[in-house]
Amino acid sequence: MSKMKMGDGSIILRRNRPGTKAQDYCRWPDEPFEEMDSTLAVQQYIQQLIRKDPTNIDLILKMPENQDEGVWKYEHLRQFCMELNGLAVRLQGECHPETCTQMTATEQWIFLCAAHKTPKECPAIDYTRHTLDGAACLLNSNKYFPSRVSIKESSVAKLGSVCRRVYRIFSHAYFHHRQIFDEFENETCLCKRFTHFVTKYNLMSKDNLIVPILEDENTPGESEA
Amino acid sequence: MEDNSLNHQNGSQMGPQAGAVGNNKQNEEVNTKSHYSIPGILHFIQHEWARFELERSQWEVDRAELQARIAFLQGERKGQENLKHDLVRRIKMLEFALKQERAKFHKLKYGTDLQQGDVKPPVIEESSEQGTDADQSYVQVTNSTWKQGRQLLRQYLQEIGYTDRIIDVRSTRVRALLGLNNNNGDHEENHNGGGGGGTGGGGTGLNGNESNKRASETQGRRTPAKKVQPSSLAEAMILDTEAAVMANLDFLSNTDVDMEDDDDMSDEVDIEQSDDMEDDVKLGKKALGDDVDAIALEVFNELNRLSEAEKKQDIKTEQTDWNKAIPKRPLGLGEDDNVDSSLGLGELAQLTVNNDAENTYEVASSKETCRKTWNAKYTLRSHFDAVHALAFHPTEPVLITASEDHTLKLWNLQKTVPAKKSASLDVEPLYTFRSHTGPVFCLAVSGTGEQCYSAGLDGTICCWNVPGANTDPYDLYEPDVLAGTLHGHTDAIWGLAVRGGAAANAGGDGQARLVSCSADGTVKLWSPHAKNQLQLNTYVSEQDGIPTSIDFVYDEPNHIVASYTSAHCVIFDLETGKPVVRLDPQLDPNVNAAARHINKIVCHPTLPLTVTAHEDRHIRFWDNNTGKVVHSMVAHLDAVTCLAVDPNGLYILSGSHDCSIRLWNLDNKTCVQEITAHRKKFDESILDVAFHPSRPYIASAGADGLAKVFV
Repeated sequence: MSKMKMGDGSIILRRNRPGTKAQDYCRWPDEPFEEMDSTLAVQQYIQQLIRKDPTNIDLILKMPENQDEGVWKYEHLRQFCMELNGLAVRLQGECHPETCTQMTATEQWIFLCAAHKTPKECPAIDYTRHTLDGAACLLNSNKYFPSRVSIKESSVAKLGSVCRRVYRIFSHAYFHHRQIFDEFENETCLCKRFTHFVTKYNLMSKDNLIVPILEDENTPGESEA
Repeated sequence: MEDNSLNHQNGSQMGPQAGAVGNNKQNEEVNTKSHYSIPGILHFIQHEWARFELERSQWEVDRAELQARIAFLQGERKGQENLKHDLVRRIKMLEFALKQERAKFHKLKYGTDLQQGDVKPPVIEESSEQGTDADQSYVQVTNSTWKQGRQLLRQYLQEIGYTDRIIDVRSTRVRALLGLNNNNGDHEENHNGGGGGGTGGGGTGLNGNESNKRASETQGRRTPAKKVQPSSLAEAMILDTEAAVMANLDFLSNTDVDMEDDDDMSDEVDIEQSDDMEDDVKLGKKALGDDVDAIALEVFNELNRLSEAEKKQDIKTEQTDWNKAIPKRPLGLGEDDNVDSSLGLGELAQLTVNNDAENTYEVASSKETCRKTWNAKYTLRSHFDAVHALAFHPTEPVLITASEDHTLKLWNLQKTVPAKKSASLDVEPLYTFRSHTGPVFCLAVSGTGEQCYSAGLDGTICCWNVPGANTDPYDLYEPDVLAGTLHGHTDAIWGLAVRGGAAANAGGDGQARLVSCSADGTVKLWSPHAKNQLQLNTYVSEQDGIPTSIDFVYDEPNHIVASYTSAHCVIFDLETGKPVVRLDPQLDPNVNAAARHINKIVCHPTLPLTVTAHEDRHIRFWDNNTGKVVHSMVAHLDAVTCLAVDPNGLYILSGSHDCSIRLWNLDNKTCVQEITAHRKKFDESILDVAFHPSRPYIASAGADGLAKVFV
């Protein structure tokens, strides 16, 4: 599928063979989105863009023509949840149940963990893990997302609530583990990309975007803290 | 008048006979009264004439009755014709539904754009064909909008379950017809008997009946050819005609289906194989047709069964053809088409999971009756990216998967969520292991199942205490699950193997021994749970480059074997750190070693045998003592990526980027079963396979982010 004839007749096989060095991992020539014909084309395309330049958020969020928007949003959210693992791993080292007994960002809200039958006041680290696990289950659910090339309208509606929940991980890290947040953000630009993403596709209200990530642009700064 | 004269003639013909009979009697009874009186003769003639008249009127009544029956049966035939149309239409509807299904899967496969381009046109084309086919006998309608409306209506009808209803209607009709027919048969017999009695004159009755039957037979034989011929005389003949009509009905519907099948195939499948299937279908149909011809009556009586069977048959033939197509298709294609075909293959496999299973079962049973075949049972979906490795718990129905999404997940196959519309079950993960900061490539579970080890791009080995099989997925975070991390490698780690554990003695101190191989060029031996000195030794083979995969040699407790990018394998002695045997592929110098890149190396649990999976589609078998290749075979259509040997050492499981996993009989190196399991992401498909050490499970891990378990 992504085989491409080169000038010299050799075929590019985009695979990481065992023994590949870390620096060569996924280092293959870009494949144009039009030539990706697998069911995972959108994921391939998004990952290819991120690998190339994680800071080029506009390009990463620029939907190809004729792309189903539901699938585009869904695959982006999958990618966010996946990359949020990185933040969760860092938080595991510092965010202890003794110090962060509740999931909070600012003093305004205590977030209850929706992973349980009755929402619970989980410690922040558990909230983080449970939310990511819950998102993984929901986004891989055969019931709501049986296909990765077309998504029901009713299932697309579920993406917003996933966004709201996982965003709290960013906000908790930002307000309580600023150093971790900054390190992580410098490497990945994930929170910035996420904020642009939910703003662009109107998945969260602006009031909820409390991490002042767009301050150099035209969004309100640390306002309702 | 002619009738009359005929009767007179009849009468005169009969007269002498009857007279002779009477004569004899009278001769015997009253010999002396030798003279007939004129009035007596006249009286006799009058009497006879009256009798003949009576009979004639009876016959006329019979004839009227029969004509009524003919009319009735003709009406019945018309009903049959309508029924036939219904059946044909129903077949088309089923086919339309099938098309839709296919379109759906195309959609799944290629996305909306291509789907519309690829599939919709044939559907519409076909629908126009349908329209004309079904309506030819009614009116020649060429108005396309009308047809479209019809198509739409058909869809709606389908949605409200019209097809089901029509099946019911049909079967009741057929049943009614059957009952009616039986009555006819009885009736006919009675009638004949009555007729025989009516004619009275001994042998003549019988003769008459026989000739009647003969006549009806000849006419009956003629009728199937000219089925439009309206009038027929005897009931037996009518029966025949009906049977013929029914036979024709069979032919009609069959040929229709036949044609449709061909269309379908030419739409989607390449030529060779559609030829094959055409042959098959036609053969089947022909046999059926012959039967119908030979014993039309029987067929008529069995119509109910047949027509139902017909439906099944059609579906079945298609299914089997698909299934046949699965292994066949990729073989007939060139390199470039390969991928497409495997794509279609994946699609087909998805489409008919159960049929696939059936087919493999049949194949297997035809070869060897009691062999176990594997069917997909559990789908493990929760990873966001390719699943790179998986390993089973040594005793429990529990497995762990490692993924490029930086996590490992723990699954209990006994805690399932029933998936909708399929026989397979969904499992939700019990626990997510988070510590890696990059994709996880390899995984090993200790002999007790209490620990597992993982490593990947970040160059760190994580040692985990595996939570119990009944952990609450949303329990509190236990930092103790991560028992420790092993630092030492400076590049991505691609292979792990573990031996021993608390129970089994591996290194002499009752501790587990872990070996790892990394893109930094080293193989390292670890004692992962030691108090100090975690890293025991490092093994390097300078001439061979980077190790790609590693395993313990099971019949030599102190040996490990590692495969290298040079396409060589080296067996190391753990104690001395020196290479013991170098497995030499005896490369043709013209062949690029990279083409023979070894993706996976495994050792046989009991024999001094090493098995390697190669990028060049081969699986090679090596003798550990001589270091020579003992067998080499092309095993897949694309790079072989992973291998597993079953705990008894009788079978090998291999996975490949051609999207399939194959089970091999180690004894005769033949493929026992092939299962299409995963889809491609970039050019990767299946990344790992595993046997459960003590239970009948096998599993595959795919670049599509899924893991599947087969039972």
